[in-house]
Amino acid sequence: MFKELDPLLHSQLRLAVMSILLSVEEAEFVYLKEKTNATAGNLSVQLDKLSEAGYIEIEKGFVGKKPRTVCRMMEKGRAAMEEYVNTLRQYINI
Amino acid sequence: MEDRNLTEKESLELITRMIKETQENTVRYAAYPLLIWGYMTLAISLTVWYVLSFVGDYYEIQFLWFLLPVVAFPLTLFYSRKDCSKRGTRNYIDRITGQIWMVFGFVGFFLSVASFVGRVDIYFLIPLLMGMGVTLSGCVSRFKPMVYLGMIGIAFSFLMLWIQGIDRLLVFTAIFIVMMVIPGHLLNHQMKKQCLKN
Repeated sequence: MFKELDPLLHSQLRLAVMSILLSVEEAEFVYLKEKTNATAGNLSVQLDKLSEAGYIEIEKGFVGKKPRTVCRMMEKGRAAMEEYVNTLRQYINI
Repeated sequence: MEDRNLTEKESLELITRMIKETQENTVRYAAYPLLIWGYMTLAISLTVWYVLSFVGDYYEIQFLWFLLPVVAFPLTLFYSRKDCSKRGTRNYIDRITGQIWMVFGFVGFFLSVASFVGRVDIYFLIPLLMGMGVTLSGCVSRFKPMVYLGMIGIAFSFLMLWIQGIDRLLVFTAIFIVMMVIPGHLLNHQMKKQCLKN
């Protein structure tokens, strides 16, 4: 019996964001937007969902006068990604 | 990219692609700290050597060493921040390298202060510490010239235990050229090439 895939991660944009955050310590909103080719509005909504689940933390600040939003993966997010990949492996039978 | 569900195969492909893309980041100013600290050390050490050799016994000239952190530290901070904001990310290598230099930098600074009040052979300990820093940074960033030249710096620093007199400053300078200036230029050349490629 296969486990169900985490619905929060099983979406293209959210999974892309989580994959990026898995391999860096922190990433700026602009960087995530550029790498995922998402619109600012959509990306913002998806980041909020990940943040509400405790998967990532979002820090809003300023560099000089320019606003800067930085995202980091939390321990809960890392564990969720690990479980997600393990479940994927079962599905694909790797 | 949209908020749509993926097949299992697509999911794995997406994870792999995104992780690979973050690994391809080029750090344009990665070599600048080596070049800044290397050239500043070179300039100060040759000035101190020149003054003590040809001008007179002005030992106050040794205070010139404190110019090194005052100039090099803000410049290093400026370029590393410029790199991070240009890339939009901060990775594990940035953090570990930063922490290595923070520890070695502080120890080096306090040893320099201590050398004014106690018997500390600063011309042996500083190249030893900095050589260790360069070697470790090279290991973390997997840049072999830094590893090898840093190790040569460590080995040469022990020479300072046997060389006495003011001319040891010339050996000290040579060690910094080998372990900081040369790998700095090699790294800078590589980063420039990668930036042009991207």
